[in-house]
Amino acid sequence: MSARLLAQAGVRESVRAYWFWLNAGIFVAGGLLLMLFGQVDVSLLGYRSYGRALAGLMQLALFVVPLMALLSSGAAIAGARETGALDYLLAQPVTREEVFAGKWLGVTAAVVASLIVGYGATGAVAAFKGVPALPIAMLLLFTVVLAAAFVSIGLWVSALASTRGRATSVVFTLWLALLALGSLGLMAAFVRWGLPAGVLQAWSLVNPVEAFRLAMIALLEADPGLLGPAGAALLDNLGRAGLIAAASGSLIAWTALAYWAGRRAFTAAT
Amino acid sequence: MITGVKLGKSYGDQRVLGDLDFQIEAGERVALLGLNGAGKTTLFRCLLALTDFEGELRVAGDTVTPGRKEVRRKIGYVPQQAPLYDMTLAEFVAFFSALRGVSMEGPASTLAELGMSLEETGAKALNELSGGMVQKALLGLALGSGSPVLLLDEPTANLDPGARRDLFRRVRDIAAETTLLFASHRLDEIELLADRVLVLHGGRLAFDGTLEELWQATDAAPRLWLSAPAHEVERLAAALRECPVVSDLRANGAGVEVDVRGDASLDLLLEVRQRGLPVTDFRTRPPSLEHVLDRLEVHDASLVEADASPVGRGEG
Repeated sequence: MSARLLAQAGVRESVRAYWFWLNAGIFVAGGLLLMLFGQVDVSLLGYRSYGRALAGLMQLALFVVPLMALLSSGAAIAGARETGALDYLLAQPVTREEVFAGKWLGVTAAVVASLIVGYGATGAVAAFKGVPALPIAMLLLFTVVLAAAFVSIGLWVSALASTRGRATSVVFTLWLALLALGSLGLMAAFVRWGLPAGVLQAWSLVNPVEAFRLAMIALLEADPGLLGPAGAALLDNLGRAGLIAAASGSLIAWTALAYWAGRRAFTAAT
Repeated sequence: MITGVKLGKSYGDQRVLGDLDFQIEAGERVALLGLNGAGKTTLFRCLLALTDFEGELRVAGDTVTPGRKEVRRKIGYVPQQAPLYDMTLAEFVAFFSALRGVSMEGPASTLAELGMSLEETGAKALNELSGGMVQKALLGLALGSGSPVLLLDEPTANLDPGARRDLFRRVRDIAAETTLLFASHRLDEIELLADRVLVLHGGRLAFDGTLEELWQATDAAPRLWLSAPAHEVERLAAALRECPVVSDLRANGAGVEVDVRGDASLDLLLEVRQRGLPVTDFRTRPPSLEHVLDRLEVHDASLVEADASPVGRGEG
């Protein structure tokens, strides 16, 4: 009950925030541009012709969604602590567990709502062009899981940070690091230090940004060349279904483990 | 209604509250007096089950267990710092009423008693309201949710003197049946509202009694403020320094504040009149908190030597 009320308040607050509309706007604009100019006529080349457009949309999600999720969740607890809102909230008949759950639900629901707005416009254009809805629905579903994972990570940071500014700088650094330590960046590091290929493959699954990218490329049956060396090796080792399952599992594990760690940090403050 | 037995709290090596024993009866209005860092907010955090502590605490028949939310249903709370929420006043009241499991009617009608109509101001964003209005909103929620205990943690710290007096008068009228514990470091606020005073000093209970008993225990007399024209202040101050009943004084451009020995305020006023000193108005002010605490440290130390238990009610 309390978590639901807190989530509703969180959604209301998020919908008024600039980032919500920025996120939705980026997806509306990016999705429309990609759908209008990023593919050729479906009647000539069939479903796969949308691979490029969807891959473009996926790349957009890869950059934007983690950042939006991290920035909004990173501020959720640390910001409320700074303004006295958290102290006042905790003086009400709610537990810290409920507050944490409410923050998670509120931020996740707001990010998902902004994605639905963004992907909804893309989906409408795609439907008009005769593209099946399934690939876009799958992209939306995986983007939601990606967002949930980063909301959990952001709330974890927020629970530990003393100020909003500190939380924001940590999540921004984290975002940059996870993007930079993608397949190619990490491969360069592995070549430099001579680490075994298995570690690079494992890291590709552990890094949520990479896990999302691999899952989406495998799911959309895009060019295997886009997977990168570690992803291609994983595809060989695990097969397409195995790669999708492993990458999805990684995102779900991040969501659950970061949520657990964040809640633990938040409740330990008693 | 509120009972603390050997209540203690430490943050690392720092002892913030030390073995407090106190009892507050139903309907009492008790001031928690102390300088910043005395332990007032920590005591509130203990009462609200927001932090762990040693000893035992009971509120309205419930044992306070850190982290458990049940006791908070019985406590209305107004913090020192008005929380910033990106909500309208109506949304704020609706949200916190729902969170407390009460309908909006109670807080809305209390707000009306406090001079704030939800119909008129409900659509305004919280950050558009003045500090006094936000504090009234918090008070309306705390009082209107029907909690038997009201905790006010220096709720008027950021208000101007007029708004402060107004808020306290309204609290006194509306919260007649509520058990009230309010933190303050302002003796004038305490005079307005409190039946009884608990003085916290260095995390220890340095005094427990009525305000009169506090004055007696600390040999504190009210201060006298004498207004004078700016060009006459120096002459007035010089004349007052010669009066034997004046123990100390401070002057500024608008007049002189005098510490009077014993009950000699009236004598001093008569002398001012007889000597034709340039006083245009006068007011009494409560003694300074520093004076009270200086005296209490002596009492506290002697009691610690004689008996390790804190000062009992009326013994100060």
